[in-house]
Amino acid sequence: MSRLVVSDLSVNRAELPVVSQVSLVAESGAISVLLGANGAGKTTLLEGLSGIIPVAGGRIELDGREIQKARPGVRSREGLAHVEQGRTVFRQLTTEENLKVGLSREAELAQAYDLFPELVQRRTIRAGLLSGGEQQMLVIARALLTRPKVLFIDEMSAGLAPVIVTRLMNAVRRLADEGLAVLLVEQFAALALSIGDRAYVMRRGRIVHDGECKALAKKPDELHRLYLGTEAA
Amino acid sequence: MDALLTSAVAGLTAGGTYALLGVCAVFTYRLVSVVNFTGAAIGTAGTFALIALTEAGYPTWPSVFAGILVGTFVGVAIGYVMTRWFAESSASTKAAVTVALLVGLIAVGLRLTGGQHPHVMPELFPGSAFRLAGVEVTIASMLTIGLAVLFTVLSDLFLNRTRVGLHLRALSDRPMAAELLGVKVQLLSLLVWGLTGAFTTFALMIIAPQRSPNFMTLSLLVVPALAAALVGLFRSFWLTLAGGILLGVIEGMASTVDSISQYRSAIPFLVVLAVLLWSQREARWDEAR
Amino acid sequence: MKRASLRASLALAAALAAGGAAVVGLLPSYWVFLATSVLITGVALQSLGLVAGRTGMIALCQMSFAGVGAWTVGYLNLAEAPGGLTVWILLGGLAAVPFGVAIGLPALRLRGINLAIVTLSFATAFDTILATITYPGQAAFIQVPRPALFDSDGGYFIFVLIVYAVIAVALEFLARSRLGASWLAVRHSERAAAAHGVSIAASKLSAFAISAFIAGISGGLLAGYLGTLVAENFSMMASLSLYAVAVMTGAHFAEGAIIGGILVVMFPEILRRFDLPQDIGNVLFAIGATQALSTGETMSETFRRLCRKLRPARRAKAADAAGSSLPQPAAHAAPVALEIDNLSVRYGSVVALDHVSLKVTAGTVAGLIGPNGAGKSTFIDAVTGFLNAYDGGVKLAGAALEGHSAHQRARAGVRRTWQTNRIAPELTVGGYLNLAAKGLTESEIRAVLHWLDCPDPETPVTTVDAGTRRLLDVAGVVAARPAVVLLDEPAAGQSHEESVRLGQRIAQIPKLFGSAVLLVEHDMDLVRSVCSEITVLDFGKVIASGPPTKVLGEPAVKKAYLGIEEESVAA
Repeated sequence: MSRLVVSDLSVNRAELPVVSQVSLVAESGAISVLLGANGAGKTTLLEGLSGIIPVAGGRIELDGREIQKARPGVRSREGLAHVEQGRTVFRQLTTEENLKVGLSREAELAQAYDLFPELVQRRTIRAGLLSGGEQQMLVIARALLTRPKVLFIDEMSAGLAPVIVTRLMNAVRRLADEGLAVLLVEQFAALALSIGDRAYVMRRGRIVHDGECKALAKKPDELHRLYLGTEAA
Repeated sequence: MDALLTSAVAGLTAGGTYALLGVCAVFTYRLVSVVNFTGAAIGTAGTFALIALTEAGYPTWPSVFAGILVGTFVGVAIGYVMTRWFAESSASTKAAVTVALLVGLIAVGLRLTGGQHPHVMPELFPGSAFRLAGVEVTIASMLTIGLAVLFTVLSDLFLNRTRVGLHLRALSDRPMAAELLGVKVQLLSLLVWGLTGAFTTFALMIIAPQRSPNFMTLSLLVVPALAAALVGLFRSFWLTLAGGILLGVIEGMASTVDSISQYRSAIPFLVVLAVLLWSQREARWDEAR
Repeated sequence: MKRASLRASLALAAALAAGGAAVVGLLPSYWVFLATSVLITGVALQSLGLVAGRTGMIALCQMSFAGVGAWTVGYLNLAEAPGGLTVWILLGGLAAVPFGVAIGLPALRLRGINLAIVTLSFATAFDTILATITYPGQAAFIQVPRPALFDSDGGYFIFVLIVYAVIAVALEFLARSRLGASWLAVRHSERAAAAHGVSIAASKLSAFAISAFIAGISGGLLAGYLGTLVAENFSMMASLSLYAVAVMTGAHFAEGAIIGGILVVMFPEILRRFDLPQDIGNVLFAIGATQALSTGETMSETFRRLCRKLRPARRAKAADAAGSSLPQPAAHAAPVALEIDNLSVRYGSVVALDHVSLKVTAGTVAGLIGPNGAGKSTFIDAVTGFLNAYDGGVKLAGAALEGHSAHQRARAGVRRTWQTNRIAPELTVGGYLNLAAKGLTESEIRAVLHWLDCPDPETPVTTVDAGTRRLLDVAGVVAARPAVVLLDEPAAGQSHEESVRLGQRIAQIPKLFGSAVLLVEHDMDLVRSVCSEITVLDFGKVIASGPPTKVLGEPAVKKAYLGIEEESVAA
C-alpha cells in the first residue's frame, strides 16, 4: 500500500504563482481525478510533483518520506511516474526501445504488451510514426514498466477519438484495481468522473472542490460553476 | 603531380585529427546538445600534462596514460559546469558558455605552460606505415584516421547495442522524459564529456609534434573540428569524418602552392561559408521559438 | 519614443561630458592615455553589444572587423589620401561593413550557433592573413597622424570621447526605433517577430552591418591612438575575450560598454602594478561571463535592477487616454476578408487538418472552436505562413497567399496572436506597439492601450503581468488594422470578469479598427457572445459550422467537446 500526500504545495512559473497551497492525496487502488479549466494550474501542479519545476513551498510525502527537494530522476526511482501531456515518446526510438528505457528489474516487457496488445505489432516501428492513440498507450505503458507506486497522467484524452479514450480509461481503471495510485488530470470531466474515485477541482491555482467523483458527476451545474466561477448558463 | 600527392598525403595526419575532433563534436552535440568550443582545449590540457611529465623525466607511456586521464578529468569538469547550471539553457546559451570557458581555459593553460615558451613534444608514433605511389604514409596519419573510424564505429555499436547507449539516445531525444523514467541524466552526460575528453586528448597528442606545441594554437584546432562537424551538419558521423580528412588534405595541398600557402588557415573559414550557404537553401524556423 | 530617446541621449551626453572633464582636468597624463584606451574598447564593446546583446547571437570576430577598419586607416595614410584621420576612420568603418554582411549572410536562417562558428573561423583566418600582409607602414614605422586640433594625448582623448558620445547617442535612438525593437523581438522569438511583418533576414543583416561599421571605427580610433599597429592588436584571442567581457557586463547598455572598457584596460594595469600575471584577467572574464549566462543577468542589468529598488516603486500606471483618439479604422473593401479552401496538413502519417474550408466575412467576428488537439493551432500556423507545406488555398481579400512567407503575409494583412507569451521583455509597452503597428502617433498608441486596459507606453514589459501581456499581444495586432486578425485563445488564464470585458472589446474590433476577426477560443460563453458564425473542428475535420446557437446545440459538437453523448454540462 502506498500513499502520496501533498500538503500546502505552491509552484511558480516564471516567478508568477500558478499553484497556491494545494493539498491532495493519492492512494493505492484509487484514481484521484484533478479537474479544471485551461490555465487552472493542473499541469504546473503535476510538474511540481514530479520535479520538472522546483516547488516554491509545501511538502510532498511518498509513504512518509519527503521528496519535494529531490531531482525528477530520484523521485522516479522512489516510485513516482509522470506521463506528461503531449505524448512525449522518444520519437527516434522504436516502440520496444521506448519501453526498455525505464524498464525496472522487477518488470517485464510482457506486462506492457498485456495491457496494450495493440503495441505488439508496432514493436520495431519508430515511435514518432505511431498514431496518437498508440503513442498515448506507449507512454502509459513505458511509465508502468518503471514499476511506480504512484502514476500521474496529464491530459490523456486530448486529441484522441472517444473510443480510444474509453479504451485508455478502462486500462487506467485496471491499473488502479491492481494496486497503483493514480492521479489523473483531465480537462473534459465526464468520462474521468465516471472511472475515478476522488475528485479535486482546481481554479486559478487553488483546489476549490474535494469530494467523491460519483457525487460530482451527478451535479453538472455545480461542476460548471467550479470550472468557471460563475452561475451556470 | 608527385609533389601535390606528397603534400596531400602529408595532410592526412592533420585530416585524421580534424576528423576525430569533429566526430567528438558531433557526438557531444547529438547526445548532450552542446556545440562545444572547448573540445580541442580539453585535449590540449591532457597533452600538456604529458609534456610536463616527460619533461620531468617520467617514461613516455605512463605519461600518455596520465595525460589522457587529465584530459578526461578536464572534460568531466566542463561537463559538470554544463549539466549543473546550464542543463535547461538554450543551445545558443550553452555554446556561449563554452566560448567563455574557452577564454578561461586558454588563459590558465598559457599561464601554466609558460606562454610561447618552447616545449618538446615526444613523437609517439614516428616513422611511416607504408608507401603509397612512392609517397610515405606516416603511422601517425593512419592512427588518427583509424582512431576516428574506430570512434565512429564504436559509438554506433555502443549507442545501438547497449543499455547505456539506449539511455543516451533517449536522453538526446527528450531529456526530461528520460529523467522522468529514472535515467541518470547527469551521470550519463558526464560520461559523454569524459569519453570525448579522452579521445580528443589522444588525438591531440598525436598531432601536437607537427604543430607548434603552444596551448593556444592547439586549442584553436577546434575551428577545423567544428568546420568538419558542419560538413556532417552536426548529425552524420561519417560525413564529419570525410569532411575532416578532406580539410586536412586540402590544407596539405595548399601548403605546396607558394602563393597561397601562407593563407591556408583561411581554408576552414571558406569551408564553413560554403557548407552553411549550401545547407540553408530552405527556410526553417528555430524550434520552439 | 522620440522624447524618451532625447531625454536619455541628453543624460548620456551630460554624463560623458562631466566624466570627460573630470578625466582631463584631474588625472595625470598617463591615466588620460589609459582612459582613451578605455573609450576605444568601449566603442568596440558597443559594436559587440549590438549583435551579442540585442540580437542574441555569438559574434567572435569583432576585433577582426576593427582590424579591417584600422588597416584601411593605415592604408589611406600611406596613400596620403585627403581628409585626415576623421574621414579615414569613417571610411575604415564602411570598409568593415561588407565583411560583416558577408559573414552574417550564411548565418541568417539557421541557429545562431552557426554564426559563432563562422565568426571564429573568420577570426582565425584574419589573424594569419593580417600577420602575412602586415599593417601598412609597420615596417617603415610610419605613424598615423592625429587631427591637428586633437594632437596631444588629452586632445585625442576628447576626440575619442566625442566619437564615443556620437555613437552612444545614435545607438540610443536606434534602440528605441522600430528597427531596434525588431532586433530584440528577433532575439526573443523569430516567429513572433515575423508575425509582426519583420523580415528576419533584414533585421539580422542590419545588425551585422551596423555592428561591423562601429567595430571598424574602433579600429580606426586605435590606429590614431597608437600610431602604428601590429597584427596582435586584432588577434582572435582579443575578439574572444572581448566577447566574454561583453556577455559579462552587458555591452548593449551604455554603462556596460564603459564598465567593460575599464575592466579590459585597467585589469592588466592593476595586475601589472601588483606584479601579478596579466592573463588572470581573461580567467576572471570567463568566470564573470559564465556567471552572467547562468543567472541570465549581466552586470548592467544587475546595476539597473538595484537602482530601481532604491527609487520609490512606481506602480504600473494604466494608459491615460485623455485627449487622444484611436487611429482611423482601415478601409478593407473586399466582402470576404479571409477564405480558406480545402486546407490539409499532414505530419508524417498524422493528418492534422483534413480539407478544412471556412470564410471570414469582412466586418464580422468568426469563431473557430474544437477540443484540445483538434488542429486549431495548426490551422493558424498554416494560414499565417508558419508551416513549410500544406495543401489547399488561403485567400486574403481574394488574393492567394501561397508562396508568401510569414512576414510577407503579416504585411499583406493577416495578423495573429500567440497562446504563449512571445513579447520581448526588454521592450517597453509603447515600443512593442510601435513594433507591432508601424506609424502610429503617440496619442494613438495611448488610446489603443487604454481601450484594452493596458499599462502606460513607458512601462517596461518585464513589469507587466502575464494576463496583461496577452492583452498587449491583442492590442498590437489590432492597432496595425490588418484585413484580418487571428486571435489564438486570448481569454485563456483570464478570470470570468476579465474575459467578459475582453469579449466586449473583441466584438468592437471590426467597427473600431476595420479588421475582421477569427477567434480561436475555449471559453464558450465568450464565443457565444461575440461570434456571428462559428466553425467546429474535431480531429482536423470541420464537423459543424453556422450561427453559434445552432452549432453549439448539435449533438456531434457536444460529443466532441465533452466526450460523451448527452450531458448538460456546458464546458
